[in-house]
This record gives sequence, structure tokens and C-alpha cells, in this order.
Amino acid sequence: MVLAGILITALGFIISVLSLGMTSSVGGRMVMVLIGLAVSLTGIMGVINRAYLKNAIWRK
Amino acid sequence: MTAVKRLPLIIAAALWAASLGMAQATAPAAPPAAPITANDVKNVETPKPEVRVKGDPDGSLTGTVSDIAVSDSKKGLSIGDALNQIGQNKIAINFVWTLITGFLVMFMQAGFAIVETGLCRAKNANHTMMMNFMVYGVGMLAYWLIGFAIQMGGVGGVANLGGAAPLNTEWTFNLFGKPFGLFGQHGLFLTQGGTYDVAVMVVFLFQMVFMDTALTIVTGSAAERWKYTAFLVSSFVLGAFTYPLFANWAWGGGWLANLGTNFGLGKGYCDFAGSGVVHSVGGLTALAVAIIVGPRIGKYTRQGKSNAIIGHDIVIVLTGCFILAFGWFGFNPGSTLGASGNGSLRIGSIAVNTMLAGMTGGFGAMFYMWLRYGKPDASMSGNGLLAGLVAITAPSGFVNTVGACIIGLIAGVLVCLSVEFVDRVMKVDDPVGAISVHGANGLWGVISVGLFADGRSNYGGSWNGVNGSVTGLFYGDAGQLVAQLIGVGALLGVVFTISFVVNLAVDAVVGQRVSAKVELEGLDLPEMGQLGYPEFELKARPVVAQ
Repeated sequence: MVLAGILITALGFIISVLSLGMTSSVGGRMVMVLIGLAVSLTGIMGVINRAYLKNAIWRK
Repeated sequence: MTAVKRLPLIIAAALWAASLGMAQATAPAAPPAAPITANDVKNVETPKPEVRVKGDPDGSLTGTVSDIAVSDSKKGLSIGDALNQIGQNKIAINFVWTLITGFLVMFMQAGFAIVETGLCRAKNANHTMMMNFMVYGVGMLAYWLIGFAIQMGGVGGVANLGGAAPLNTEWTFNLFGKPFGLFGQHGLFLTQGGTYDVAVMVVFLFQMVFMDTALTIVTGSAAERWKYTAFLVSSFVLGAFTYPLFANWAWGGGWLANLGTNFGLGKGYCDFAGSGVVHSVGGLTALAVAIIVGPRIGKYTRQGKSNAIIGHDIVIVLTGCFILAFGWFGFNPGSTLGASGNGSLRIGSIAVNTMLAGMTGGFGAMFYMWLRYGKPDASMSGNGLLAGLVAITAPSGFVNTVGACIIGLIAGVLVCLSVEFVDRVMKVDDPVGAISVHGANGLWGVISVGLFADGRSNYGGSWNGVNGSVTGLFYGDAGQLVAQLIGVGALLGVVFTISFVVNLAVDAVVGQRVSAKVELEGLDLPEMGQLGYPEFELKARPVVAQ
């Protein structure tokens, strides 16, 4: 689960960088970068952090 | 008013108008400038020794042509000597400016130390102070050995400091037909690659204290349960690799700075003094470490309800905030790397933007807390001030005062919302609010450049190699906002990921967290061997439910 989160977080960055080569329009790049940011945030908050919360010290 | 009483006013007004008219009428046309000859330079009078020996109470005899270094004493003073002196004076002003502002930034370590210690419990005071104290040395060692070369080894010169020419080797690869700079290669130990150089030393000092600021942010989020050994290893890696890598991309001639020249996105990624480079890097690493270390015992109930664990000294917390606000006058205005030439006189504007954003940040947080919880919370007001300062760090050199106030105000509210989100939704324990103050507001600062930059700054006619001034979306350049967002993507996708993986490795090798017994006892004795307050009787205090 944590490994998946790491990969998803990094994937968001790759999407942002790919916007540079896939289109030259500012609007197109903006959309791709925002998608990349959403993916990274999902990786951090939705996957990595959630994995740690499952075994959190306060649950024990 | 009677006519008699008005008479002096009328006379004064008439005299003023007449003098104005006379001045305009009789002002002679400026004579054509005559070229300076070698004789002019040689014939400049110098104070005679018999006059000089009587002292110089008004300072008019000190600092004259006789103080200019002469290259050939037989020929005497030449125009070349005078011009060299002018050049050296400019660089000297910029050296002194950059060094002194660097010293101010160094003093921020003291501010961070007492803010974090005050927000922690008394039983962990020594441990928290020691982390903040030793992070200075650990970071400096890592940066001198490796980090500086990675960050600045390929910057290609710093004009305001007279060159720093040896920093000229960047490792790049091609992507989409354009060069992507990844890391510098000159400057290991400040000797390799010809970097035993006066300008390089100034660059090193200034950049080193910035790097250390990022490192000390992490100690706050992991305080009160972070194993000291893990702190040392984690901080070393952050100072040697993670921080310098992103700093190279933004400030060292790397690919983010060149988004403008290579892809036409505004002036490339612009981060004037480090909302992203310093604060987001520190804040996101703080998030990674806080997730791995886990919350303090008692922070959450079995049902996941958050408990407030109150710090032990609000007095030193707010004193620390003041020290930080003072140090920020080094952080932002100092980032011109000079006070003379290339638009550096904007330091006044940058300093005012800095203080205004801090002010609105403090107000934003204070009023938010007052309205939401009924009291103007002291620690969150302090965090609001810091949030405003963090947010204005990237845009301070590119925005006007109205923009600065708006950026700071949003930051002040954002820090409160973010603290609540991190605490209650993410359930990540951050004793000092470092993730929100530096992480969230660092990202906000980066984005705000792409919105509020007014296109009126002019640092030598270009920025990041693109002609013109940095201009945000609200002033007509949407491409700048895209460049900033790509920087945010790199911070989230690369910096967080690297920090997380590094700290997972540290956890596996040395363990990140102290034992429950040590945590309950307090980290001072078990980890440091000495209490922070040995003459105090420390009593366990029940945590207060929010």
C-alpha cells in the first residue's frame, strides 16, 4: 500500500512534466499540471497516509 | 480669517511662486559633458598631510582619491585605477549586504528553536532545543561536503557578486529536445573545480543558512517522539541531497528555472527567496517524517478524536516569532544578493512587502481563531505571522504592497484551516504546525507569484534568462502560473517522495521513534541525559479535549 502511494505520488509529477512535451498551449499544460497535482495529493493523503492510519498507535 | 491674518500666507505663497518661476526661467542649460582625461584624474586634490594630522571631525577628509589603489606608483593614478575602484566598491557593497543578511538568516535558527521548544512540553525541552541547535552543524557539514556543489555547482555565475565563475558545470540531459539541468558538479569542499573563490564563499554562506532553515522545520513536526540518532541521519541526507537537488532546479540553473527559455512559460519557475525551495521542502519533509513517526501518545483517542497537547511556554513562542520576523529581513531583501546594480534597489520594496504580509498573516489567523473559537489564540496568531512571511517569501521581489497584503491575509487564514485539516482529517500529529506554516503556505507562496506578480520589478532587464519582468495571471501572463504549478508538482511528486523514501530507510536502519516508556517519561533524560529544567518539578498533566 505504501509502495503504491509512493508510485502514485511520483506519477503525478511525471504527468506535470509530460505536459511540457505533449502540448504547447498554456491552457492544455495548465489542465495536465493540475491533474498531476491532484494525483500526487491523492498519493500522499489518500494512499500513504491512509496506510499509516490503519496501524496508528492510537488504535491499539 | 481676516485679510490681515491672511496677508503673511499670501506673501509667502507669492514668494514661493516667484522663486519657482525664477528657478525655471534662469536655469541654465546643462553644459555638454567633457570626457575625463588622465590629467583630470591626476590633478584631483588630496588632503595635505599637515591638515590630515589634525584629525577629521566631520569626515570630509576621510575616503578621498588618496584611498584609491594605484596599479603603477610611478605613473600615478589612472582612469583604469578609478574604474576598478568603482567596480570593486559595487561588489564590496553587495558582498557586505549579502553577508549581513545571511547573518540575519542564521539568527533565525534561534527563533525556530524557541518557537518549537515553547510549543512542546517541558519534559522535552532539552531534546527539542538540542535538535534545533545541532541541525545547524549537521546541515552545514552536509552542505559543505556535498550539498552546495549539487545546488550551485552549475549556476554559471552570480553577476551581483562579481561572477563566481567557477560554478559552471551542470549535469543535464535532453527531454523534449531541450536540456534539463539536474544537479551541479563544482564546489565539493569549497575547493574542487576552482571554487576557492571569494564570491563563491559569499554564495555558500548565504545559501547555507537558507538550507539550514529548511532542515530546522522538520524538527518541529517530529518533536517529542523523534529518536535523536534518526534526526541526525535524516537531517544530514536532507542537507546533502534532497534540499540541494530542488534548490538546483530553482536557483542553480536547473530545469525549473529554464521553463521560460525552453518552453515559453513566463520567466520560468520564480521563487524569489524560497517559499518553495526552503519552506515547502522543509514542510513536505516534515509531513513525510510526521507520517512515519506517528502521533504522540495521547494525541488521539481510540476513536480517533484529536486532543490538544498544550506547549509549556507561550512567552518564548511569541518571542521566537519576533526573532523570525526580524530574520526575515535578511531572508527576502537579502535574496537580491546585492544592494547595488541590476535593480537591487528594490530591497526597500521587498522589505516592506515582507513586513506587510507578516502583519496581515497575523491578523488573518487571529481573527479566524477569534471568530471560530471565541478567543484570539496566541500560538495561532504567531503561526499566522509566520505563515504570512512564508507565503511572501517567493513573491516578495515581484509584487506590490497590495498584493503582499492579500497574500499574507490568505496565508493567515490558510494556516488555521490547514492545521485543522492535518490534525483532524489526516490525523497527522504536528506539535508546532510546521506542515501547515511551511508546507501549505510555502506552496501558496509559490502559486501566488503566478497570480500577483505585477510586472514592475526589473532586475537587470530579465529573469531566468528571459527578457522582461515577472508577470502573473492577474497582470496578463498565464504561462507564469503554469511554471509555478509545475514547481509545485516537483515539490509534491519528487521532494516529498524522496524525503519519504529516505526516512523509511532511516526507520528501517536506526528506527525513527523512541519507545513508549521514553516518550511518557519525556525525552530529556533518556535521550539527552539532562533535563531542560532540572529544578522544576514536572507533573503529568491530563491532555485537554478540544
